[in-house]
Amino acid sequence: MKVAIIAANGGMFDAYKVFNIATAAAATDAEVGIFFTFEGLNLIHKEMHKQLPMPAGTEHFQEGFKRENVPPVDQLVEMAQEMGVKMIACQMTMDVMTLQKEHFVDGIDVGGAASFLHFASDADITLTF
Amino acid sequence: MSISADKVLDAKGLACPMPIVKTKKTMNELEPGQVIEVQATDKGSTTDLKAWAESTGNQYLGTITEGDVLKHYLRKASEDELSDESPHPHTATLEEVLNKLDGNEKIKILDVRESAEYAFSHIPNAISIPLGELEQRFNELNPEEDVYIICRSGSRSDMAAKKLAEKGFKKPINVVSGMKAWTGPTETSVEK
Repeated sequence: MKVAIIAANGGMFDAYKVFNIATAAAATDAEVGIFFTFEGLNLIHKEMHKQLPMPAGTEHFQEGFKRENVPPVDQLVEMAQEMGVKMIACQMTMDVMTLQKEHFVDGIDVGGAASFLHFASDADITLTF
Repeated sequence: MSISADKVLDAKGLACPMPIVKTKKTMNELEPGQVIEVQATDKGSTTDLKAWAESTGNQYLGTITEGDVLKHYLRKASEDELSDESPHPHTATLEEVLNKLDGNEKIKILDVRESAEYAFSHIPNAISIPLGELEQRFNELNPEEDVYIICRSGSRSDMAAKKLAEKGFKKPINVVSGMKAWTGPTETSVEK
């Protein structure tokens, strides 16, 4: 199984949607690739991914995340990488936002739309978050 | 009644997808055929582990509930069982292969056993690519050509045939039931 994911949003809920599916897929022996673009880049930004905002009015869920022992986002990112999830940061968005590869967690690739399309061209599942 | 397991995984208190992720990691440490007990409190873990087992070819045995704790039992699949679900559609018998060789027909034979197995005895001119290396080395073969794939029992070759079909090969053919029943000519690449 091959799973291709586009992460285009930068909230905390978005991070869980992306990384829960990605890690579950990787644990199911799938080859997984995530293309981070626009606000999605926050999910792998060294500082930002540790303090992603919750959607306005949902802050009270914070407690639920704790109660249910949901792992923090940076831990999920690490786990995903450990399991071989391929992460591609969008070059064009990085340029627009004047971000360098060093601003992101280690082990990511930087590429353009064609890199993602190449990865996704024979994917069984393609998701956008 | 207590069920014996080769390994117990404590995934209590963990939320989705952690029970699955931990199960996968622990499963890697098990030998084929061994049983794992996964202790979880995530209420979704029963359906998730069932689905995970189905996707990965492992065997979900069942779940027992003890208070808040769900104890799931899974058995790590062995190579032989993995391919039982839906065998590759194209097969050839050993006799068919032998007839082609006797008739001097040029056929491509791919031996997907480990290189040590191959070294001791293989069909003359068979190419050796162990199943585990096929993903990296399939491009050494011509996808347009018929490829007769053989292993010891027909199970690894079945997986190899599916893999080549997946890679766009026109006609991978699984040779049943493998070298263990082969009576035709063999050669060796080691000094016995």
